[in-house]
Amino acid sequence: MNEEELVEYFRTQMRKDPDMASAVAAIRTLREFLKRDKGETILGLRESLTWATDCLTGVDSSVAVSSGGELFLRFISLTSLEHQVTDARHIVSGLHTGTDNSGLQRLWCTLAAGLISCCLSQDLSRCKKVMEERGELFLEKISMSRAKVAKLCHTFIKDGAKILTHSYSRVVLRVLEKAAAEKKRFSVYVTESQPDAAGRQMAEALGKLNVPVTVVLDAAVGYVLEKVDLVIVGAEGVVESGGIINKIGTYQMALCSKAHNKPFYVVAESFKFVRLYPLNQQDVPDKFKYKADTLKTVQNLSDEHPMIDYTPPSLITLLFTDLGVLTPSAVSDELIKLYL
Amino acid sequence: MPGADKETDLSERIEAFLSDLKRGGSGTGPLRGSAETARETTALLRRVTAQARWSSAGDLMEIIRKEGRRMTAAQPSETTVGNMIRRVLKIIREEYARSRGSSEETDQQESLHKLLTSGGLSEENFRQHFAPLKANVIEAINELLTELEGTTDNIAMQALEHIHSNEVIMTIGRSRTVEAFLKDAARKRKFHVIVAECAPFCQGHEMATSLSKAGIETTVITDAAIFAVMSRVNKVIIGTQTVLANGGLRAVNGTHTLALAAKHHSTPLIVCAPMFKLSPQFPNEEDTFHKFVSPHEVLPFTEGEILSKVNVHCPVFDYVPPELITLFISNIGGHAPSYIYRLMSELYHPEDHEL
Repeated sequence: MNEEELVEYFRTQMRKDPDMASAVAAIRTLREFLKRDKGETILGLRESLTWATDCLTGVDSSVAVSSGGELFLRFISLTSLEHQVTDARHIVSGLHTGTDNSGLQRLWCTLAAGLISCCLSQDLSRCKKVMEERGELFLEKISMSRAKVAKLCHTFIKDGAKILTHSYSRVVLRVLEKAAAEKKRFSVYVTESQPDAAGRQMAEALGKLNVPVTVVLDAAVGYVLEKVDLVIVGAEGVVESGGIINKIGTYQMALCSKAHNKPFYVVAESFKFVRLYPLNQQDVPDKFKYKADTLKTVQNLSDEHPMIDYTPPSLITLLFTDLGVLTPSAVSDELIKLYL
Repeated sequence: MPGADKETDLSERIEAFLSDLKRGGSGTGPLRGSAETARETTALLRRVTAQARWSSAGDLMEIIRKEGRRMTAAQPSETTVGNMIRRVLKIIREEYARSRGSSEETDQQESLHKLLTSGGLSEENFRQHFAPLKANVIEAINELLTELEGTTDNIAMQALEHIHSNEVIMTIGRSRTVEAFLKDAARKRKFHVIVAECAPFCQGHEMATSLSKAGIETTVITDAAIFAVMSRVNKVIIGTQTVLANGGLRAVNGTHTLALAAKHHSTPLIVCAPMFKLSPQFPNEEDTFHKFVSPHEVLPFTEGEILSKVNVHCPVFDYVPPELITLFISNIGGHAPSYIYRLMSELYHPEDHEL
């Protein structure tokens, strides 16, 4: 699968289901890439997957695509490692039955040879089959993650609540859908969210649910906060410190909510957890801040407007994920469990 | 017939417990402490395990859940009952996993790691029958009961690390845990305690009497004087009714005022709470969070003329957000409020959060 086919598949996935998260589309594309890959070794497989993820971030430079790709790579490593270990165990148990104490050196040589053979083509096809099955299951599980998040979050929306949200987030939309389905009466303020006016898209979608919605200017967040009961935003990425990376304007909203003592809730699926630890706005890598075409064409990035910002964990009250309701300090725990 | 006798005996005990719970919430001050409630609940669950008819772990969990729902419905504000039921359910899950021989199933929580590596979507259905399961579960419940009995002592043992000589400590209302904590420190240190009386039930008076009998210099103040006196206080040590999943508290009314005053003066706020008070609830459920009792404590019925013209409320609990709390001291040691999520995952299984 070469670069154009990869990009075309990714774009088709995004077009087919506009409701799907971009990370899920990326993982689907990588899984298709895995199926068609004709590599001979696991190391080669990992290298080509890294190359494929880079191609995809060239199309859509958001944090979510990058985190989805990294998660898939981690999934490959874990599966292949498990497979190698079980194979090594078989080899050891097989050898143990027919060797005596003096053959210990022979045992080690055979074991080493066995491990190396695990990386060769005979076992690779078995390994790949396991990866494909697990990949299918993984995709099934994460497709249910939005429903889980909605189930957890809608109880925090009380009858008669006034909610403030930022820009267009499909997870927030799902949560509000669930709350509306539970016959709760609430009204929503959405920020316009320039430069792409994504907030208007959100307002349209909410209007279809018969939820009273008002679009406000990005600059009016402080003005509107005294009327609001709670703030709910989505996230493009959740970083190790428990903070989030989201559309520009989120940090401002979080600061204002803290000043007004309003709860600031974040809803995000677990595949958005990413291994970054920014200490301030500058620490967020440039490749996430700007759109992919901007990165390719523009020479001087300091003249461009960033599309995302970083909200530190001290401003976030709670995070709703498919792993449960988490306080920001619990996020790094989850990431450690996965990556170490 | 002996079988039928045991069953009626069991259901009688459960009924007696339920009516006790209902009466205990009548509002004339807590008639029983949380520790006794926890112990009685666990003893009752042990009896249910021993006497009820069940063949697999799944059946037992269903029975316990059913009884648990009845018990929590009898007195929703008494969260220790629900907590103990969830602990027992977790014990059953662990014993089942151990009997099945699942090696490292210690981490039964959802995690990214599990998401990536698990082999199937199949759920555990706990249908397998294991003969020694009953004995194992009962033994584990006995261990839980031993732990419950030692909680107040374990907390009191840590007193000397936190209370120093010539300090002024403030507390509110009456908490048996804090009482034991202060009395233990008083054996070796000399310090002064200021007790806020905590109107309208004025449990602070009993606390002050009890502390002064132990030889501690005590002062009683009204709730309105908390802010005024706070500048002279070194530490605030309080008990609580429940510790919520976000690290916040549901404590006796007046505690939020105390916490805000402490924050303003940068005085550390220490909460003495045993592990059985940790509850997986979040403070969003308005209808079950607050409890209102008869307002005659606030404005007696003799003031009929005024009563007809005003609305009088007498709430029992206060919510204290986690930002105002410095340290939690529990029977397993001291923790920061941001660590509560970890303790929660060790004590309860996420599927049991909703009984």
